[in-house]
Amino acid sequence: MISLDRVRIRHEGSGAWTPDGASFAIGAGEVVLLLGPSGSGKSTLALALNGLIPHEVPAELEGTVTVDGALTTERTVAQLSEHVGMVFQDPDSQLVTGTLLDEVCFGPENLLVPLDEVLARAERALRRVGLWERRLDNPDVLSGGGRQRLAIACALALESPLIVLDEPTANLDPAGIEEVYAALAEVVASGERSILLVEHNLDAAIDLVQRVVVIDREGRIALDGTVDEVLRHGTDALAALGVWIPVATMAALRLREAGVDLDPLPLTPRELAAALDAVELPAPPAPDGATALGGVVISVDSLTVTRRKTPILSDVSLDVARGELLAIVGTNGAGKTTLLQAIAGVVAPPKRRILTAGLDPATADARTLARHVGFVFQNPEHQFIRHTVAEELAHGLELQHLDAGAIAERVDSMLERFGLGHLRDVHPFLLSGGQKRRLSVGTALIAGAPVLALDEPTFGQDRERAAELLDILTQLNEEGTTVLIVTHDLQLVAEHATSIAVMQGGRLLAKQPAAQALAGDLLEEAGLRHPPLGQAMRALTRHDAWRGISRLRDLP
Amino acid sequence: MTNPYIEHRDYGPVRFLHRLNPLSKLFAPLPAMLLVILTRDIPTPLAFILLAMALLLVGAHLDGRLALLLFVVLPLAVGFLSLSFGIWTDRERVPVSADVFSLGDYAFTTEMWLSGFSTALRLGAVLVLGLLAGATSTGAELVRALVQQLRVPYRIGYTALAAFRFVPRFGHELEVIRSAHRVRGMIGGRGPIAGARRYLGYVVPLLAGAIRHAERIALAMDARAFGAHPTRTERHIVPFRARDWVFMILFWAVTAALLVLVPRLE
Repeated sequence: MISLDRVRIRHEGSGAWTPDGASFAIGAGEVVLLLGPSGSGKSTLALALNGLIPHEVPAELEGTVTVDGALTTERTVAQLSEHVGMVFQDPDSQLVTGTLLDEVCFGPENLLVPLDEVLARAERALRRVGLWERRLDNPDVLSGGGRQRLAIACALALESPLIVLDEPTANLDPAGIEEVYAALAEVVASGERSILLVEHNLDAAIDLVQRVVVIDREGRIALDGTVDEVLRHGTDALAALGVWIPVATMAALRLREAGVDLDPLPLTPRELAAALDAVELPAPPAPDGATALGGVVISVDSLTVTRRKTPILSDVSLDVARGELLAIVGTNGAGKTTLLQAIAGVVAPPKRRILTAGLDPATADARTLARHVGFVFQNPEHQFIRHTVAEELAHGLELQHLDAGAIAERVDSMLERFGLGHLRDVHPFLLSGGQKRRLSVGTALIAGAPVLALDEPTFGQDRERAAELLDILTQLNEEGTTVLIVTHDLQLVAEHATSIAVMQGGRLLAKQPAAQALAGDLLEEAGLRHPPLGQAMRALTRHDAWRGISRLRDLP
Repeated sequence: MTNPYIEHRDYGPVRFLHRLNPLSKLFAPLPAMLLVILTRDIPTPLAFILLAMALLLVGAHLDGRLALLLFVVLPLAVGFLSLSFGIWTDRERVPVSADVFSLGDYAFTTEMWLSGFSTALRLGAVLVLGLLAGATSTGAELVRALVQQLRVPYRIGYTALAAFRFVPRFGHELEVIRSAHRVRGMIGGRGPIAGARRYLGYVVPLLAGAIRHAERIALAMDARAFGAHPTRTERHIVPFRARDWVFMILFWAVTAALLVLVPRLE
């Protein structure tokens, strides 16, 4: 149905060809997962399948992409849209019209499909993703997961035999991810469409796919085979390529080194639990003791925040000790970001409710506050204000009126520490995503703030970058910085946080040491899911002693 | 910000303005708007304001916002503008009249005020005449009428409609950027110059985000065959019926009649 022959693509102004010589084909009804480390050209490849490359995106294409017997270079994107439907990563930047129904009709209308057929297709597509009842709503009122389901319906309505989804859940919270995969499962079950899924969240995707294609860092096809062949038997190759493997598989590999051989390798939490229940296990190692913590550095005392007469936070009290790495978790609208912004003084909280590093963020001025607490926004670009990386770092120190020598010294050491030394004269907006993120953390810390607060810093990033950031945070934390982080990624939380604050509906359900919060039922109470490893361990029917484990490092 | 996407609603035969094509509501008052701008008196713009208000009162669904605009905001604005325009008026160029008030050398005369009042009324008249279409049709309807009757290329019309989605998004983005800059200590003093510098700092991140967003939207639209053919299937036909002609011709006739009659009333 679609076949690629030695496809190489180079973006305008870029030196490297990624992908570089990709050849594979997708047949009718196949569900294919495309994996690869960041920068390997997965998304670029996706854009070539419906002709956006080379027709719309300035990029060079070598080799051929053949759709339904004709080359993509010889057809228009509009003609190709009848063969290949697309779902992009950001649900907001695919919306054109004002109601769900108009949105789904948009594609078929452009193709001059007759009126009754447009409506019939729209109804079929919206019903398939469970949004027919909401057809007259403005898409803005849907959740992120809902808007992404709508994007899937839009692709369905084009009646193209192949649907390409480019990281469709990267911008969603766990509930949204579940929603989207439930909708996709419906599409797969109908068996009418082939699907190519570019996704790094393997734990969610694994149940759907039949075949896996892996691109390596140089943009070449490294592996291509069934889920069993690639994920179960090619695990070592995957790890060497820097591709994220499912958490359950990682756990099994770790256990294998400890002498617990699980065969076949489990890919999902369910399989891991079943495999563990089938073997004898030694007693789990004692979890490493809690790190010694200092005195209280943040205290929040019955904080209530109301905006436009709607309560956002009600009666939240918590203390954070020096040296904690606190993760604030909860569903959308639980008040996580509001709490974090109040603690850091980003939005002035009510007076005399909060003490952050000895300051009341309600009354402290911005410059003093910057010396005590650093804040990192979701999109690092938002907080860049100067024209070079070095100036950007120096900015915070200049505001403190330090002398030039001291500033240069601290800027140099910060550049060194975050691996930005060779980029000191580059404009911050020209950095790569990961570099921008590191710079934003650097600018937040340079004034010497003992507290660092981060709002969803891993949103929309792949696992590799997310893990890189968390490693930096863990290191800072070990050196004594108190870190507060709002995030949806619970496995990341499980691996790195020392304590977890669980919020729901503007209230703090509890703040507990991470191990305790992950072992109990607190996450479920807040409408969240346990991270994959925790799910597996909680599903064990034997091995009581293993049930509380949710961190890879707590395995033998 | 009104939602340009809300579906067309029908409020029955009496609220007839909602049943007309947006174009007829746009073209009917157009001559009146032009003529009113050219007048210098008070009765003519006043007469057109009363005419348009009467039409809206009968023919439009009068919700709270529209009522507020017509009966509170409009009179207040005309009153306020009549004073400010009056103060700008050159006293030498209006007839001598009694002072309304004086401050030292400066005197504000009745004629100055009347001159300001007529300017304010002209603006008010243009606004209310514009509301005949503005308050009774939706953005989507107008775009469809432009495409269907005036043969505006649909690529332009629907792209404009898609652009409406940008507005709230940028508002939100600007808010986030402002707080991010505040956190970085970009308070930078008071006064218009510091303020302008501050806003200049928001431009780069806002534009970077806007361009990226626009590019993504464009790709998403292309991927769904936008612009594939010279026309597209229309689910909503916005007809131009006999009643639209009747409305336009009657409105033009009344416009002409008012122009002839009103000056004679003086």
